Order: sequence, then structure tokens, then C-alpha cells
Amino acid sequence: MQPVALNPGRRRAEQTLLFGCLVVLSLIWLMPFITVFLSAIRSQGDLISNGVFTIPKTFQWGNFWKAWNTGDFPIYFRNSLILIAVKVPLGIIIASLAAYPLAKMRFRLSLPIFVFFLAGLAIPVQVTLQPLLVMMKQIGISNSLAALIPPYIAFGLPFQIFVMRGFFRLIPSELLEASRMDGASEFTTFWRIMLPLSLPALATLAIIDVLATWNEFLIALVLISTNEARTVPLGLLQFQGEHASNYVLLMAGIIISIVPVIAIFLFLQRYFISGLTSGAVKG
Amino acid sequence: MARDVLTESRSPVVHGRPPRWQRGWYVPYLFLAPALFFYCGFLVYPMLSSLWISFFDWDGLSADMTFVGLDNYIKLFLYDEVARRAFLNNVIWTIASLIVPTGVGLGFALALNRRTPGTTAFRAIVYSPAVLPLVAVGLIWSWMYNPQFGAVNVVLKAIGLGALARGWLSDFDTALAATFITGVWAGAGLFMVLYLAGLQSINREYYEAARIDGASAFQIFRHVTLPGLSETHVIVLSLAVIQAFKVFDLIYVMTYGGPGQTTQVLGTWMYFQSFQYYHAGYGAAIAWVIAAIVLAIAVPYIRRMSRS
Repeated sequence: MQPVALNPGRRRAEQTLLFGCLVVLSLIWLMPFITVFLSAIRSQGDLISNGVFTIPKTFQWGNFWKAWNTGDFPIYFRNSLILIAVKVPLGIIIASLAAYPLAKMRFRLSLPIFVFFLAGLAIPVQVTLQPLLVMMKQIGISNSLAALIPPYIAFGLPFQIFVMRGFFRLIPSELLEASRMDGASEFTTFWRIMLPLSLPALATLAIIDVLATWNEFLIALVLISTNEARTVPLGLLQFQGEHASNYVLLMAGIIISIVPVIAIFLFLQRYFISGLTSGAVKG
Repeated sequence: MARDVLTESRSPVVHGRPPRWQRGWYVPYLFLAPALFFYCGFLVYPMLSSLWISFFDWDGLSADMTFVGLDNYIKLFLYDEVARRAFLNNVIWTIASLIVPTGVGLGFALALNRRTPGTTAFRAIVYSPAVLPLVAVGLIWSWMYNPQFGAVNVVLKAIGLGALARGWLSDFDTALAATFITGVWAGAGLFMVLYLAGLQSINREYYEAARIDGASAFQIFRHVTLPGLSETHVIVLSLAVIQAFKVFDLIYVMTYGGPGQTTQVLGTWMYFQSFQYYHAGYGAAIAWVIAAIVLAIAVPYIRRMSRS
């Protein structure tokens, strides 16, 4: 946004200055990551005598392996991955099914139902916790991953329906007309035409939902209390409770729990940044 | 009947058509049924059930619930010192959220809304904390604030401000601010992304015109950029407030409401009442106060989204 009339030399100087500022700011912004990493790769004794910001005497990569095993991370990772594998596809299909009539059919309650779903964006999880716990006990699935799936789907729907409805509306209705003319049922039209054309939106939603499911804490905290059913955030907190003073191991555990989301972010960021801006965002 | 269902029912030419049972008024509802089932069963119903519970004295476990009318709400508004503190903290958190993470996000967006080398990398760096589990964010920053080894105190000592070093999370005066700063780190990235999208939707010609008229950089910002972002402001500020009233994870992980209940917010106080002290009725009342506040604040946001 610099004025155009500036001479190139001054302009370049400004660019360089801005670049320098951004580099410094980025380093400050990355400081927490750097601190955790520098702590995780040394020995506890090294940390206590030399602090975090020195070159480690020896690189203790074994910390990660030790944290992975002593912290029951295999259980937590398995649970979070199972949860994601079931919840994400199921939730997105249910949201797409609901978004289709809201986007492409004309019926009296279309707008009220859409607003009804949107209101869910503002519902705090807290207001459902106690009844959910009672409900899951009654069904007999409290303390299992199965208890998490229905509320996760319910709380994911408002945002997902909003995004899918917006995307479906961009698909020309002529395509649907043609399909209906050919005698296809509404469901076939949805499945064969709408969904394949919406792959970019579906991929974006899936990525956002994988992260949200991996990160969710409060519902899991209330509904899960056995170690066997803990997800990664619960497990990490449990690990912290058991190794609060073993700093290097704790830092290694933190890194283990964030590596998957960081990897997803680094490799797939262009998909989900576009998704975030397509409206608002997960509650 | 069938015509109601089609968005554009203008074709008189009919080849084959779907069988009659697929053309009724109920077709949209068949598509909506699974979503309505989950949404009503596991969000709306529990929410209403909470309202019911909030009129009772109940431990959350046993069968005996005693109806107490509005007593839980009266206690909440009049007699509970911690709840008052929690509400005040939510208000402080909200006001700060309207200014700090949003301002930081806008600042980064303005700095990164150009095609210079490294822009994509800078954006990724700023956004990266937003993808982490908040439990991990809380633990990472607890380490940053560690009195002995934490980066904050180490840096302060290194630049000669060692007198300021302290246990940031155990100090009554700084615990809430320290937790809030953690929230800024985790939350600013989202606001940056939203503002970037807003900036890119402003018509380039406005900038050209302003420059031709000899406007200064600040005048351009004030009279072109800011008004152009008014739609984005609504989204960003609404989200900031909604999130501020829902805040839970960071405080639970970093301070557990302490020291001395000074960092309690309604979200954590509700959790402690319901699931630590087994005052389910009272916890439900707190939860409903949070829900009512957030819903009321979210009305313009939801209205705007339903129009798009």
C-alpha cells in the first residue's frame, strides 16, 4: 500500500525494513515452539544446570521414544484416530445431506431450519454437558469413544451446513434439472452430481474437522474418565499430571501430541485457509 | 406439490420423472432428518434439559432432585463471590479480546497483504498456533512462564529487567493477563486470515483513486481500508466476543481457576460446580447464563450469516 510515486530505491528500502521486522516478529511468534523443542532434546540434568537457551550437551532424541511409551500415547493416538475416522466422514455426509435441500429446494421451513442450525454456532458446549453425561450413562456408552461421536457431530453441523449450503448454491441448478429430467431421484442427483462437484469444499471441511476433532477437550473431559478411552488432549494432560517435574519428557510429550496437526497444517494449509475465510469458523 | 420442491420449475417438457413418492413435500425433510436427529438429540435437547436441571438442587448422580425454583440463579447473581469474579473476568477477557488479538490479526493482515518474498511463510507462521490443541498451547505457555526456566523470565533477566521476573501464573496480579496473552498467541492467526480475505475483497480502484487524489498512507487506511473492512469487522468482533465467553481450555490447563480463584471464568466455574463439587443444578444455571449471553451477542452475527 505504498504510494506509487516513490522512487524505487526508497521503495526497496521500505520493503527490506518491513521484511526485517517480519523476520523478528516471526521469531518472537515462534519462540514457544523453539523453547519447547530446545527443552525436549536435552537431558533433565542439562536443562536444570544450563537452562533452555544453550546448546545441549548431548542430543537426547530418546526422550521422544520414552515419552511415547511411558505416556500411553499409542492408546491416545489410536483413540483419536478411530474417532476421526468415524466422526469426520459421518458428520460431513450428514451435513451435506442437510445442506442440499436448504440450498436447492424450495419449501416453507427452509430459512427457519437454516437459522435454527446457525444458532448452534453460538451454543456453548457447557450448556449440554450434564445432560449428555446422564444420557450416555443411560445408553450405556459413557466412558467409550462412542459417547463422543454424537455430540461431536451435533456441534460440528452448524458450521458445516453453513459452508456446504453456500457451496451448493454456487452449483448451477440446470445441472440438477437435467438430472431430474432423466428420472433420477433426488438422492441420486445429490449423490452423483452435487457431491462430486463439491469435492473442494468437502476436502476443506474434512481437514478443518480433523483438526477440531483431534483438539476437542471439554466434551471428552466430561464424558471420558478411563485411560483406555482417552483422546490425545486428555492423554496429554494426564501425562503432564504424571510427569509434571520431568520437564524434558513433558516437552517431548507435547511435541508428540502436536506433530500430527502441524503436519496436516503444513501440507494442506492452502485447502483449509480458503475454507476458514468462506464464512466464519468452528465454535 | 412436486413443483414446490424444485428450485426452478420452469420446464413443461417432461421425459421420465422420479417416481411419485420421491416428489412429495417431505423430500427435503428426508434429507434433513439425520442432521435434525443429531442436532436436536445431542445439542438442543441437552440444552433444554439443562434449563430444567437448573431449577433443581441435584448432585448429578442420585435420583433425588429437589425443586428450588430460581434459587440457583438468585445465588449466582447475589451471593456467589466467585461467580461474580468469574463474570468480571469474562467481561475483562471479552473487552481485551475485542482489542488485542483482533488488532494483532489486523496488523499482520495489513503487513502480509502483498506479494513480497516470504509472505506465504509468514502467514503460515502466524497462523500455526491456531491449529494446536488448546491443551498443548496451555502446557507450552505454562513452560514459557515457568519461574526458573521459562523463556519469559530468562529474556527479562537477559535484558536487565530481572526485577520484573516472577511466577506469572501463580501471581494474583498477572495470572489472568498471562493466560490471556496465551489466548492471543493461539487466536490472532484466525483473525489475520479473516482480515486478509476482507482486504482482498476491497476494490483496487479505490486505492488508485485515493492515491491520485494525493491521500497519505494513513488517510488511505482511514478512509478506504477501514470502511472496506466493515463486513469483516462484524464477523471478527462477533467471533471474538463469542469465544471470550466460551473460554475454558486455557484456564483449566494453565491455572485451574487459581491462584485463589482469581482466574475463574464462568466456563470453568460451571465445570467445577457440576463435575468437581457435584452441584449439577447450580452448574446448569451458570451454563445457561453463559448460553444466554452468547446467544444474545451472536444475534447480529447469525442474522448476517443467514442472509449470505
